[in-house]
Amino acid sequence: MTLATLKEGERARLVRVSGDDAVKHHLGALGFVAGTVVRVVGASYGNMILAVHESRIAVNEATAQEIEIEAV
Amino acid sequence: MANSIKIALAGNPNSGKTTLFNALTGSEQYVGNWPGVTVEKKDGILAGHREVVIQDLPGIYSLSPYSAEEKVSRQFLVEEGPDAILNIVDGTNIERNLYLSTQLAELGLPMVMAVNMMDVVRKNGDKIDFEKIAKALRCEVVGISALKNEGGQEAAEKAVAMAKCGEQGIGKREEGRGNGERRGLRRAPEVPHVFTGSVEHAIAHIEESIQGKVPLRSIRWYAIKVFERDREIINRLGLGVGEMKHIEEHIRDCEKELGDDAESIITNQRYDFIQRLMDKSLALNEKRKGKATLSDRIDKVVTHRIWAIPIFILSLCAMWWLAVAENGPGTLLTDWANDGFLADGWHLPFTTHECREEGRYKGMEFEDAQEEFAKAEATVQAWEAGEKKASIEDEETGEASDEWDVDEAAYNAAKEAEEPDPSQFGVWVPGIGALITGALERSGVSDTVKSLVVDGAWGGVATVLGFVPVIFIVFLFLAFLEDCGYMARVAFIMDRIFRKFGLSGKSFIPILIGKGCGVPAVMATRTIENERARRMTTILATFIPCGAKTVIIAMFAALFFREQWYVAALMDVVGIAIIILGGVALKKTRLFKDEAASFVLELPAYHPPTVSGVWHHTWNRLKGYILKAGLIIFPACVFLWFVMHFDWSLNLLADEEIEKSILHDLGSWIAWFFEPLGFGSWQGAAASVSAEIAKEQATATLGLVAANMDGSTTGSHIQALFGAVSDFPKLAALSFMVFNLFVPPCMVAIAVTFREMGSQKWGWFAVGFQLFVGYALALSVYRLGVLFAGGGFGVWTALAVVVDLFCLWAIFRPARKEASK
Repeated sequence: MTLATLKEGERARLVRVSGDDAVKHHLGALGFVAGTVVRVVGASYGNMILAVHESRIAVNEATAQEIEIEAV
Repeated sequence: MANSIKIALAGNPNSGKTTLFNALTGSEQYVGNWPGVTVEKKDGILAGHREVVIQDLPGIYSLSPYSAEEKVSRQFLVEEGPDAILNIVDGTNIERNLYLSTQLAELGLPMVMAVNMMDVVRKNGDKIDFEKIAKALRCEVVGISALKNEGGQEAAEKAVAMAKCGEQGIGKREEGRGNGERRGLRRAPEVPHVFTGSVEHAIAHIEESIQGKVPLRSIRWYAIKVFERDREIINRLGLGVGEMKHIEEHIRDCEKELGDDAESIITNQRYDFIQRLMDKSLALNEKRKGKATLSDRIDKVVTHRIWAIPIFILSLCAMWWLAVAENGPGTLLTDWANDGFLADGWHLPFTTHECREEGRYKGMEFEDAQEEFAKAEATVQAWEAGEKKASIEDEETGEASDEWDVDEAAYNAAKEAEEPDPSQFGVWVPGIGALITGALERSGVSDTVKSLVVDGAWGGVATVLGFVPVIFIVFLFLAFLEDCGYMARVAFIMDRIFRKFGLSGKSFIPILIGKGCGVPAVMATRTIENERARRMTTILATFIPCGAKTVIIAMFAALFFREQWYVAALMDVVGIAIIILGGVALKKTRLFKDEAASFVLELPAYHPPTVSGVWHHTWNRLKGYILKAGLIIFPACVFLWFVMHFDWSLNLLADEEIEKSILHDLGSWIAWFFEPLGFGSWQGAAASVSAEIAKEQATATLGLVAANMDGSTTGSHIQALFGAVSDFPKLAALSFMVFNLFVPPCMVAIAVTFREMGSQKWGWFAVGFQLFVGYALALSVYRLGVLFAGGGFGVWTALAVVVDLFCLWAIFRPARKEASK
């Protein structure tokens, strides 16, 4: 299951981030690491705003599809 | 300053770093609620400590080598080695911020962590245990509020004190003064115990292998980078094949054991460490957990799938109204600047009254009295020239008024008219132009000098300064949007659309700024981290007609397209179309292929914009524009005045003798280049080239060089000029306008483009592309226009068709295979 399948208001735990190295590590620095719980604050046309720790990170659909999640 | 103490200010974007820097140094710095505002490192002297230099590093999330900001920061921290680090941390988002802090701590430099936004933390009811964090990260920790100016100075003083004795936090203290081996450090300083198990084992092993090759104090940091297989660091260390093979074995064992790549292992363990630390030291207010913040609720509306774009367009309309709408604040301010402040003078508001003293102006406002006098002057002139009709023209657009009949009675009455005295209509403040002219007259200098100063130097500078009000309003509005946090949302909303033509959502900000002035627009491209999107934005952003180009549009719309009211608005549309189609075409070339598909951007929490934040933002951009007037326009205008008023033997020429001027010859030499575009005369060439100094110069030059054409007003001179070069003067005029709007921007913007591109090759590519677009567009407008107007098909028409077919091919050809996954 990837992050792109989540709907507004839903929460999930990150399993792994794949794809381009630079993006993956940028996401890692922002707190997208295995075990982190993220919440979808808003979603439109596949792009979403996520709550990670106390920050809000906007990602597009292509990025959300690279992020594997599991149910909390 | 050889003995100065260097304190590096490092932290996440939006952690309040630049606000703290300003508070500490009192300098005017760029601050924005927009991630990645600082790209260059900036220095300032700590207030009250002349020997202490505070160095503001770009906001970064990590010390990895993936972005320009991170590279600048880590190069500085590792190679130049500041005496201490002042790490600013956002207290409301401390977990994420500590990710960078752990890396900074590993550098082994004395470090003070300033936990910012403590006022908000307290208000939220959260509690942070500074002591536990200090102990775990081996650094000093203090709470501050940069915005409220609380505790920042103390944090900086603490860093200075630590730098002075080379103290490394409350961890192991070393003998001797100072840090690093230049001060005799014998063993590595204590660093946080972040990593566990086989990873710690592997890192310890790497430390052994690289000992002696790196500064001892930072050995842990280097070892971790080697573990992460950081190319840059490994190459710098020059590790042998044997050593590397050995290290590689350790790394592979870890990877196999933990089932992840080395870099991710490090990231994960870092966050594990922070998590453990936070469990002990952070108590979040339970009531607040998981609740939507005010920012979230605002985002529900402004990033809404349907409302997002209408709201954005509405805010743009507000900006347009403020800046350029008729009778809007921008227009009123511009009129005041151009006609009053920079020119003759102006009446203090609320002091104006109708003049009742002079019978002639009785019951009349100053402007009406002025117009009456202008009419009287025109009547006198017309009668003396033996004409039966007279008219006056608008100074800015050169447009002529309705004519009226002139007879002897009218002539005699008009001759009696006196120029209205502004001081009789209210409190009159003389303008700078009037002051300069007055001073020159009093000092009795020759007419040549007067012309040089008033028409040449001041005229050019005043034209540029005349745009300051409009540009100021555009920048002020954008600064407001940036400071409150909305701009980051705009980037997010627009990304979905902009991605389709190779740009990034972040490209929108430079394009918006470009409506005001291209120079800060090109500089604003720095916030786009994707290199291809950044380059493309730099090339395309200046196609949007800027404030100066609006002058060209206004003049041509008034002189040639009075029935075609849509021409002016059409130019903005053409600008946007070029950006979109240019993006589509460039994206398909090899230079810009395979655009990375991801978009990741932190959205800072909304906060009410601060006056100082908005002001710094606005002023920094405006400053660039005003400096342009002084440094580039001034000498360029003096040069232009010179070639216009002198011939080759340096004789001063009267205005009517402009055909003998140096400018005439210069224009004639290059006129052939403009022949296909329909205005291949020396006048058209001279005006187009002078427009590269500053775009609005095109209209001024055109007015001067057309002076010898038939007609009674400047406007009719210009109309006659285009009538003389082409059988289709309207098309030639349109072609001239289009050419000057869409070729490379003024030379200041070109210079900035070269600087931001960072390479000659890319700079020339940008200019070449812009020249091609402007030329192709003007060529097509004129030649195809002539064809449809029944002017026949010629060699140039064929060229226009070929160029257009090429453009269509470039836009519509299928994308390269490897671009789509």
